[in-house]
Amino acid sequence: MSREQEILNQLKEGVIEYEGDMVIEAANAALAEGIDAEKAIFDGLVAGIEEIGRLYELEEIFVPEMLLAADAMYAGLNILKPHMKKKDGGKKGSVIMGVVQGDVHDIGKNIVKMMFDVAGFEVHDLGRDVPLDQFIEEQLNTNSDLVCLSAMMTTTMVGMPEIIKKLKDKNPNVKIMIGGAPVNENLASQWGADGYAKDANNALKDAINMVSSLRNM
Amino acid sequence: MNAKERILNQLAGKEVDRPACYSGMGNVTTAGLEQFGYKFAKVHSDAKMMADTAASSHKLFGYECAIVPYDLCLEAEAIGCVMNPYEQVDQLLYPTIKEKVIHSDEELETFPIPENVASKGRVPMVCEAIKLLQNDIGSEAAIGSYVLGPFTLAGQLMDLNELFKLSFKSQDRVNAMLDRVSNVTIDIAKALHAAGADYICIREMGATTDVLSPKVFRNVIFPHLKKVQEALTAVNCPTILHICGGTNKIMNILNDVGCNAISIETKNDLAKSREDIGNEPLIFGNIDAYNILVNGSPADVEKATLAALELSCDSVWPSCDIWPTAPIENLKAMVETVDKYGAEKWVRKNR
Repeated sequence: MSREQEILNQLKEGVIEYEGDMVIEAANAALAEGIDAEKAIFDGLVAGIEEIGRLYELEEIFVPEMLLAADAMYAGLNILKPHMKKKDGGKKGSVIMGVVQGDVHDIGKNIVKMMFDVAGFEVHDLGRDVPLDQFIEEQLNTNSDLVCLSAMMTTTMVGMPEIIKKLKDKNPNVKIMIGGAPVNENLASQWGADGYAKDANNALKDAINMVSSLRNM
Repeated sequence: MNAKERILNQLAGKEVDRPACYSGMGNVTTAGLEQFGYKFAKVHSDAKMMADTAASSHKLFGYECAIVPYDLCLEAEAIGCVMNPYEQVDQLLYPTIKEKVIHSDEELETFPIPENVASKGRVPMVCEAIKLLQNDIGSEAAIGSYVLGPFTLAGQLMDLNELFKLSFKSQDRVNAMLDRVSNVTIDIAKALHAAGADYICIREMGATTDVLSPKVFRNVIFPHLKKVQEALTAVNCPTILHICGGTNKIMNILNDVGCNAISIETKNDLAKSREDIGNEPLIFGNIDAYNILVNGSPADVEKATLAALELSCDSVWPSCDIWPTAPIENLKAMVETVDKYGAEKWVRKNR
């Protein structure tokens, strides 16, 4: 096995085994030995997260394990990302994310954020319990392509229709995706969202499609 | 047999005429609030306002119960967290906890819990609301209350990400912490019962198998739920265990907790649940509290109610807190369907 393959494997295994130290060591080695940062991210860290995603879908691992894997991944991403070569302006697209006001559950949103981070999106994370006005202001300030709204409870997702309407009023071209346990496809279409994400994997795929279609306009 | 007798007898394992139509989770309608001209943010801190609006569910649409409180912050506040009732906001928002008391995982074993926690925060006020309700409608309707399960409560006291990770990596430490936290759950539940609550719903939604493995559930969640059930059973307080999300993988464990009944939501496959735990245990559920009760038509509600009965629910409960804008005609449809068809559709009787 080549040295490069060894390092990529170590990055991947470090994520799968929740071993942050292993990932850090491999990320530093990658830089020291001249491996392309983007390759290290995609063939190392992302490969690890994809395996984690697969195990999660099979219900062999659950949220705590995902969080531990995310920690390990970010340990490596923080080292490698600054060394990514900028091309095509460097980013895939920009996205605003937040959990709607009245809701403090952000684990799902954070997992989706991780997928966007690692895929090269510029992410503006507003956190949780985010007032309506803050979403509007952030969209106007950053001119983001996509806004992702998240809610964990039926009692807070009901705030989404108003956010969607106000965002579209200010900028008809912005794409809006919603997600969270009580949300479903019917509600998304009823409320005027452009997409509904069942989970983080789907959120990323849909986001890439949405942003591409925006670029082609 | 009136509603009160029906509910209490069923929970005690005695014969009743039909399934009841009630809840163990929050339900207050905007119709009820408007009747009194109360603002939602204010009712959480005033016993009379809370009791008036809770009773309105029974008075406006015949719900067989009245439940207080409406928010999920009672215990965390009593421990010392700060609640945000969103008074400055236009739209209807339930209060949340905005300041936690565990700031790092070093504090897990040592964070302070006040003495006489049941005398702190709004617990005495909710107890007062329960007394007012018993005086008002307590001879006809059951007066219920709820507490969070220890794990869900812990998730309000500390960073939830940290709690999840520790529940996988450091189970001993989490169990030690939950052992302390469960004492708070027990003390507050006992106070609510002593004030007159006819039953307590234990809500452990933070531990659904949508997020935690069944193994972690068995090792970290189950022992403390069992401890709470045993403490309440010892004072003759009926308990119902409610967990949101897909709970089929843990139905056996939920049954082992030993509460008087298990409440489930729409993501639970009832047929599979019965296969797993049999026909003896009481299962309550599972009308979709938003898509059906708020967004549906009365015909949709009737259909969903009949379905719940036909799938073997022993009493008809909503899947969660009912969002306050639920139309009264929908809620009436649910209650009337159970009244009209409950006896004939009751699977337990027809077996």
